[in-house]
Amino acid sequence: MEKEWADLTWEERREKRFQSWLSPDVKFNSPEAEKLYKERVTRFIKAIKLEEPDRVPVMLPVEYYPAYYAGGNLKKVMYDYDELKRAWLKFIEEFDMDSCIAPSLVFPGKVLDMIDYKIQKWPGHGLADDAPSHQFIEGEYMPPDEYDDLIRDPADYLQRFFLPRSAGAFEAFRKMSPITPMVAIPVTYIIQFGDPEIRQAYEKLLDAGQECMKWMMAVVEVGQAALSAGLPNVWGGMAGAPFDNIGDFLRGTRGIMMDMYQRPDKLHKAMERLVPIAINETVSAADASGCPIIFMPLHKGTGGFMSNKQFEEFYWPTFKEVMMGLINEGLVPLPFAEGNYEPRLEIVRDMPRSSVIWFFEQMDMVKAKKILGGHTCIAGNVPVSAMCTGTPEEVKEHCRRLIETCAPGSGYILTAAAYMDLCDPDNLRAMMEAANEYGVY
Amino acid sequence: MDGTAKKWEEMTWQEKREERFKRWLNPPDVKFISPGAEKLYKERATRFIKAIKLEEPDRVPVMLPTGNYPAYWAGENFHTLMYDYKKGHEIWKKYMEEFGDMDTFNGPGFVPSGKIAEVVTSKLQKLPGLGLPEDSPMNQFVEGEYMKADEYDLFMMDPTDYNLRVMMPRTSDFYKCFEKLPPLRMSIVDPWVAILSDPDIRRTFLTLMSLSDENEKWMSASMEINQYIKSRGYPSMFGFGPMVGAPFDNFADALRGTHGIVMDMYRQPEKLHEAMEYWLNMMIKTSIKNFPMTDSPVIVMPLHKGDDTFMSDKQFAEFYWPTLRRLFLAMIDEGLVPMPFAEGRYTKRLKQIADTPRSGVMWWFDQTDMARAKEIIGDVCCIVGNVPTSVMMTGTTEQVKENCRRLIETCAPGGGYILGGGAHIDRGKIENLKAMMDAAKEYGVYKK
Repeated sequence: MEKEWADLTWEERREKRFQSWLSPDVKFNSPEAEKLYKERVTRFIKAIKLEEPDRVPVMLPVEYYPAYYAGGNLKKVMYDYDELKRAWLKFIEEFDMDSCIAPSLVFPGKVLDMIDYKIQKWPGHGLADDAPSHQFIEGEYMPPDEYDDLIRDPADYLQRFFLPRSAGAFEAFRKMSPITPMVAIPVTYIIQFGDPEIRQAYEKLLDAGQECMKWMMAVVEVGQAALSAGLPNVWGGMAGAPFDNIGDFLRGTRGIMMDMYQRPDKLHKAMERLVPIAINETVSAADASGCPIIFMPLHKGTGGFMSNKQFEEFYWPTFKEVMMGLINEGLVPLPFAEGNYEPRLEIVRDMPRSSVIWFFEQMDMVKAKKILGGHTCIAGNVPVSAMCTGTPEEVKEHCRRLIETCAPGSGYILTAAAYMDLCDPDNLRAMMEAANEYGVY
Repeated sequence: MDGTAKKWEEMTWQEKREERFKRWLNPPDVKFISPGAEKLYKERATRFIKAIKLEEPDRVPVMLPTGNYPAYWAGENFHTLMYDYKKGHEIWKKYMEEFGDMDTFNGPGFVPSGKIAEVVTSKLQKLPGLGLPEDSPMNQFVEGEYMKADEYDLFMMDPTDYNLRVMMPRTSDFYKCFEKLPPLRMSIVDPWVAILSDPDIRRTFLTLMSLSDENEKWMSASMEINQYIKSRGYPSMFGFGPMVGAPFDNFADALRGTHGIVMDMYRQPEKLHEAMEYWLNMMIKTSIKNFPMTDSPVIVMPLHKGDDTFMSDKQFAEFYWPTLRRLFLAMIDEGLVPMPFAEGRYTKRLKQIADTPRSGVMWWFDQTDMARAKEIIGDVCCIVGNVPTSVMMTGTTEQVKENCRRLIETCAPGGGYILGGGAHIDRGKIENLKAMMDAAKEYGVYKK
């Protein structure tokens, strides 16, 4: 008899998730596409498990690049979902890749306008029309005396305090009453709608919802098209480190640095509070996506930002808890270490063998391989400068050196140090070529 | 506030309560119809205040167990009140005139709007015409294991999220589609806004918006009749307060059900304690702290599963009383007057519940032995009760008066007693309510 989920080890759970990743619910364009899909996923799975695949797998460092490749720009695809679709489908059609990510981070411009989103700038809205990326606006959206409110009832805090500050359409939500005291009295939920401003807010949001769905359909369609073409998804969900959740969105860099000295206990408590929530919602997202890889962009734990002592006290424990929670559910965290994680290598090694993929930006990969090799799969890190301004030969040469350093014995995924938006398409092709040429086991 | 006045947070709880009593005695938003009405209002409120403070008023104050009886008196019922606010008001006004002297009186209570209840359904209660026969005298709570045994952690992890995405869909078909809502995130753009385009969710929000006028009408109607009653000189005991009960009941009644909670007391007592602790702190922070000034500082708290027959004294001491007591203390500290309504019998609990600040709590008893109550907690708490509902509904006026006389003789000496029923009645005779009032006047006058 088959074991229940609860009785499985994390490796057994992961195996189940790998199996569904290998057999997505999609109609492949051709038997050839299906075969390629399985080969590609197998390549990633083997690298994760530190077994030798047929060759080094590649994650092409592509974020908004397809918009430019198709002759447009970020602004254009943010506001025109047909163009978004066209650009990505063209890219899927014309590039040989091991994976493809749907443009779920190309936020819909009209929706952002409709909800008056305040914590980001984007092309044509605070940034130049031709800006290749959006810009997060950090701020102290949560004043320090609201830690207790966040800790007491996190979703209530987001709904009534954070959202009204982060988008104009939610402003009236600050007038809502907390709904937790009314648990199991569902009829009372109607009371908030008596306020005309709250009603208006919902009217706006419902309109924005209609618009957002159009965009979502385009993103989903691209995702399906990629799968059908045999290109696996490697972003089954996103999560972050609790320190970053609070530092990025709520307190800002300045605020959270003060908190490390002025109210470390509150900060610890709040981070602890976010751990199970992050695990829970990420697991649901991954269940829905069918891909077990969880992309985790990391920000404020980087080398220049805090000491190792602070990293071990403030950043690592709850971050590790989140990763362990995900691993325990059979998922594979893919932390993306923006900045310099060299000083952290020994610390982050403290995880079960082969449970994580570390994606490094600035990193001495020789050192990374020495410390993590045989223990954890690593990914990285062709310099963005080479990708954006170098020749295809230079890119290839970078790749060759990385493969020679990191590939032996498996546990390596070739990619750049960060995702890029503008570059010579031949530089991306050069990366694939290098893997095929130098990366065969 | 003048410059010499103390700041709220510097006041003792008695001083805060005095401020609230002052407000009760001088309600700023009530326009009395005559100096006579105002005088009566103050006399009546003073009577209650003295009883609460364990002082002797002019006579024993009375909380008549009127409830929604006026509807029945007028040949109507709960169902009428659900649908015809205006008619309800006319009845209440007529009843008030007909009855005359009462120490306190209120508009229809706990009557939901029928039009809204039809749409925004709830599995938690049946209503006349909605699950119950149309002429049923009141609503019926439907207990169930709405929260599963292994969901305590899920609830505590993110209670608002749990309420929105788990409990609301589970307890109301109207909100069934909230199952589809993704959790709120700090970055809300994609999944949360997009789901609003889901036809079911969109319809749900549009319906809520379209019903909000009806809801406003219903709420302001209730406000209006209560203002009308006050302007005629009848104070209210109810401070339009939060619905606060014992933390144990919060989990036992609506979330886990009787069966579930009894299992939890044996199988996962620590989890239950942790959850009650969490709930207590949540309620104190969201519903008690900075409680606004209302027309009455009395907070009525119906209690359910702590009565004599439901659990042992030891269990009461372990599970029920500690968090309830701390809730009382938090209310008292805000100058509020908790009035627990001990449904069932609390005779065995009297020794435990005596452990609160003197005059801080007023206990309203249903079937508790009042002689024992007076003896054990009479020096600490004002006590309220408890002419049996059976006598009120089916007895003669003489029997009612006799019951009242004995209660007054037992409980009134030294102050700290309010004559009341064991529970509200919904059917019966107006004469019996009048007899109760007469008894207070006849037997309840304190000699100077």
